[in-house]
Amino acid sequence: MLLLAKAALTIGGALALATAYTFHEGVISVDVDEARAGGSHVHSWVPATVVPMALQLTPRKHLREAAERAQEFLPTIRALTRGLEKYPNADLVEVMDEDQHVQIRTQNGKLRIDVDAPDEHVHIACPLATLEDVSSSLESNAPGL
Amino acid sequence: MTTLPHSFLPRTTLYAAAALLFIPLASFAQTADSQPAAKQQAASAKPVASHDQWLHVRVNNKDSKGEVVRVNVPIELAEKVLPTINKDRLHNGKVHIDDAHMNDVDLHALIDAVRTAKDGEYVTVQSNDQNVRVAKSGGYLFVNVTDKPDKDGVKNEKVEIKVPMKVIDALFSAGKDEIDVVAALHALSSQGDTELVSVKDRENDIRIWIDSKNVSDETVRR
Repeated sequence: MLLLAKAALTIGGALALATAYTFHEGVISVDVDEARAGGSHVHSWVPATVVPMALQLTPRKHLREAAERAQEFLPTIRALTRGLEKYPNADLVEVMDEDQHVQIRTQNGKLRIDVDAPDEHVHIACPLATLEDVSSSLESNAPGL
Repeated sequence: MTTLPHSFLPRTTLYAAAALLFIPLASFAQTADSQPAAKQQAASAKPVASHDQWLHVRVNNKDSKGEVVRVNVPIELAEKVLPTINKDRLHNGKVHIDDAHMNDVDLHALIDAVRTAKDGEYVTVQSNDQNVRVAKSGGYLFVNVTDKPDKDGVKNEKVEIKVPMKVIDALFSAGKDEIDVVAALHALSSQGDTELVSVKDRENDIRIWIDSKNVSDETVRR
């Protein structure tokens, strides 16, 4: 009985620690709903901690390829994300009319993009730190560096 | 000496270990949970530093769809991001101007003349269609264009531009054929709350201004 309790405690503790670590950097969420025939419905929810790990595991060849394609924009993305970390709660862009509403803002250190239109709803949230990690990682893999 | 039950020691060790394991975890979870709220509170309560100036652009369309565009950009952020964009005429935060686009106007000489001139009205045009006024006063350059009301008495376009002279100086500080946007932004960030551009016509209201607020006055929050 005591052995069982010990095992349960160890497993429970490990699980609790793993969960806390996994979510400590926040969550990347993507929700896309297209209100038309054959429209896509994407609802994904990924812990941000996974991204740097995935970047470590991604074959260098693929990272180099991605970096080459995005090279032109990487310094801008990096400067933008690094700069935005100073403004964790800010409304940056808002466009709305009778039936559409687009918002780009930072909220609790996350970059949020929300689009609400009659035929589609898109909600994306990604921690700024993750965006910076990705751009840094791609930059370090860019050809010529 | 008191004899302890056989299972007392392992049980106590187990409870103590459990307590030790969960105390930091609980406090970590509490910190993690309260972090966003605390950050939000700090962000909303923290007074904005004087150098944290924001450039705001607001466009209100008056047609039936009533389109509204609001852009709020921290000037410091724009200063950092602009030099990273190298596209067409924009390089390192400077815009290259071709001589061909200047129509033989020596812009630097013109700016220098305005800078050294005393305050006053430089251009005043009053015609049947519109009134134009270009003036310098209190370290600002003012350009006002007001269309006269049409036959039906409907007011047409009204443009008001107010630019600090410091910003104009910075804008043309780079060289003969360049406009230094980053230097202008830097000069702008040292200004207090200023209304820069206001355009009103039948279709649109456009406003560009700087202040230390991180949201446009009418921004809708979800």
